[in-house]
Amino acid sequence: MILNINNQDYDINVDPDMPLLWVLRDILGLTGTKYGCGIGFCKSCTVLIDGNAEQSCLIPVRFIGTKKITTIEGLSDDGSHPLQKAWVEIGVSQCGYCQPGQIMTAAALLKKKPKPTIEDINSEMSDNICRCGTYNKIRDAIILASKE
Amino acid sequence: MNEKNNISRRRFIFGSALTFAGIVSGFTSSDKALAELIITGDGDNKIMSFAPSVWVEITKDNQVIITIARSELGQGVRTSFSMIVAEELDADWDLVRVRNAEGDSKYGNQSTGGSTSIRTFWQPLRIAGAQAKKMLISAASLIWGIPESNCYSEKSFVYEKNGNRKLSYGELVDKALTLPVPPANSITLKKFTEFKILGKTKWNYDEPDIVQGKAKYGSDFRIEGIKYAVILRCPYISGSLQSFDDKDALKVKGVLGVYQLSEGIAVVAENSFAALEGRNALKVTWKKNSDFSSEDIRKEWIDRIGTLPNLPANTSKFIEGIYEVPFLAHTTMEPMSAFAKFSDGKCEIWAGTQNPQTARTGVANALGISNANVRVNVMLSGGGFGRRHDNDYIIMAAKISKASGYPVLFFYTKEDDIKNDDYRPASIHVVKAGITIDGKPSGWIQKVISQGDVSPNNPIYDIPNITNQTASRSFGIRTGPWRSVDYTQNIFVNESLMDELAHLAGKDPYLFRFELTKDTRLKNVLKLVAEKSNWGSNLPKGWGRGIAAFVGYGAYIAHVVEVSVSEEGKLKIQKAYAVVDPGFAINPGNVKNQIMGAAIDAFSTALNTEITIKNGEIQQSGFNNFRWLTMEDVPDFDIDIINTSETPSGMGEVGFPSVTPALCNAIFNATGIRIRKLPIAYTSLISNVEKKTSIDNNVEFEAIPIPFESSFKLFIKLKRWNQSKLSITIIDLLGKKILETAIELSGSRYYGEFNLPSVASGTYYVLFSDGIDSYSYPIMKK
Repeated sequence: MILNINNQDYDINVDPDMPLLWVLRDILGLTGTKYGCGIGFCKSCTVLIDGNAEQSCLIPVRFIGTKKITTIEGLSDDGSHPLQKAWVEIGVSQCGYCQPGQIMTAAALLKKKPKPTIEDINSEMSDNICRCGTYNKIRDAIILASKE
Repeated sequence: MNEKNNISRRRFIFGSALTFAGIVSGFTSSDKALAELIITGDGDNKIMSFAPSVWVEITKDNQVIITIARSELGQGVRTSFSMIVAEELDADWDLVRVRNAEGDSKYGNQSTGGSTSIRTFWQPLRIAGAQAKKMLISAASLIWGIPESNCYSEKSFVYEKNGNRKLSYGELVDKALTLPVPPANSITLKKFTEFKILGKTKWNYDEPDIVQGKAKYGSDFRIEGIKYAVILRCPYISGSLQSFDDKDALKVKGVLGVYQLSEGIAVVAENSFAALEGRNALKVTWKKNSDFSSEDIRKEWIDRIGTLPNLPANTSKFIEGIYEVPFLAHTTMEPMSAFAKFSDGKCEIWAGTQNPQTARTGVANALGISNANVRVNVMLSGGGFGRRHDNDYIIMAAKISKASGYPVLFFYTKEDDIKNDDYRPASIHVVKAGITIDGKPSGWIQKVISQGDVSPNNPIYDIPNITNQTASRSFGIRTGPWRSVDYTQNIFVNESLMDELAHLAGKDPYLFRFELTKDTRLKNVLKLVAEKSNWGSNLPKGWGRGIAAFVGYGAYIAHVVEVSVSEEGKLKIQKAYAVVDPGFAINPGNVKNQIMGAAIDAFSTALNTEITIKNGEIQQSGFNNFRWLTMEDVPDFDIDIINTSETPSGMGEVGFPSVTPALCNAIFNATGIRIRKLPIAYTSLISNVEKKTSIDNNVEFEAIPIPFESSFKLFIKLKRWNQSKLSITIIDLLGKKILETAIELSGSRYYGEFNLPSVASGTYYVLFSDGIDSYSYPIMKK
């Protein structure tokens, strides 16, 4: 089957029930998308599918079809996405493991709502778990990015 | 930033994983006569560098490579260690590259725990930077034929004073290699007033990689021919394997083999999904060797309370009580994982770990090979919190690689991780403390009962007649270090009890503490946090404010937490104030990040999380029933740093202990309800509503059984109502909706059954409304 990931077509031959997460990480080596819980409760594995934030651990690859997938590696070529720049500028990350999922969730939010309110951010981001407790900084970074 | 990271990756990240830098003159040490010449393969180029110690290398292309011998868990050690070396070296920060030390005794103690990294390495790393700088200045002075005193260093260059000659550190490598390494006692370190890097915020060195998905954690290790492995472990505490059948597992496409280890049954496959599918297909019979539940533990511990001694005769009033704290899992974001490649009698490991030295010895012992034949390479950890002191996952990876013959990435699922953790110990604290007639503490007695892994801490205030006792009864539940270790329980108890004593004495909880210490650093953090939080000022109705303090890890901290509790019992943490005195803050921005993160950790565990056991089995399995706070639940923070000395302290853990009691003291201030049992979810915070409805006497409400196991029957009868349609909502203590439904009253009554099998234990509130009047009742899930 052909998957379009980060604007590139990949011809892959895998069990169609394999969740997208493992296709990305094990088959294609795109390890920026993280495995956190595998059951849809932490959102570390968030990618964009046709621009929507989706949990790659829950989606069997056979459901993707021709939809376009964007992973953290494809958010920008060089870390220049406003969210990536904001994260670096105000120093969000501690261990950093959940942050690709946080950034992808925020990217989908900014696409829908370029100027989100604090309530918008809280409500959109409140399924993403950060075990280090960087939530306040994540929110600040999203606000900063939305001003660009 | 990108260029910088590409360079560091080219040299250090695992493109060249299994081929390492050649060190020409053997291993380095700071008292050796000459610096090391290190040659690193870099495609067609050879980069040469000089290393006066194991901590710092300077390459001919003018990079500074700093070796970090403690593990990055999110506490910022890669950044802060680099800052220390770069400061004394006068390095250009943009030319600094960071590499992790492999597990090796030449680096000293590599155990990342107890918030010791900065305190242990502060002096050695400063000396290492200054030694290298001194040699580079010597090299320039020899090349130029001028005295060293006519040379100075700045941003990776040596300059001639009053001249225009300059040489980069890279250009000085050849000459520096011929010079003796100056002994540590000949080194002059900078004055604090001369610092250019230290004391100013540098954000996480790895941030540019993290935000692009390029940062590599243990579970991200990939190599040609890699296979993936998972393990099925016995679900019962102290249980064992009886028999297993792997026929179906081996039929799963992609499964390469099934191997029995002492830890369980391992499945190796071409990818993670196949490994998990193969594991699902295993048929295993386990033997249960114990059948106890959390209530049995509690009962046996309560039985060991005995009789506490008497308080002194001058006691006029006293408090007696039992505080309880549960087991906790670490649940790092990244479940435990490790890469192992065993071949030709040697084993190579790539993993996040808090102790690569014990991992090395553990692997060597498990495989029956010598330490010299094991190399443990340290990668980023997706959180540690103490969990990665136990290298069980690394040892399993090594065993599976040996058994299967494959290079394997072994990983736990989140459920494996929660069920096979080294838990934060549970404990029961029986306390008795009194005050004299003039409101001063008269005595303090605390007895801690646990599996034998918790003992009391003395209060940090001037309290006479302290008696500490312990008792234990083990149930074979694995426990281990968990962020802030015993302080997580003890400071909750001590600082809550201080609050109880203050109220007993009729004194303000802040002033009560302030007047009971002569330690000026403690007084100062208390005083400033009281000022910042406007302690004593009026709060809105339903709000409360609590204070607590902690001294440890070389630092002082005080917290004030503000909460509100609604009439429905809904708790909101409104604001948290912290004042920390770290001695000297190396990296102030990161200090604040750590203090904030630790507080959120403490709020989460105080409110919601616990590990419970039923019939010998851990009941929690994921983030659904071991819940962490998310963005909408966290308060705003106001964090201040007081620098008081020239000695920095550890910041990874100090921010946790006093948060829990400050929160519970705030709840008491708001509601009059004293939290003595964690998590708080066990306590109903409804105070006003019950009173109101009983006066009103309009409602009959019954939920059966309470506490309920997975479902309960609800009976509601209203004497008068506005509409026959009732909306029923079940919320948790933070007001999150668990269930929402609308029902018709049949006459004045409603009967129904509610199923909540997958929610965590604790208090929930049944809210119902006929559109005008609304009512709230607590229910409890076992």
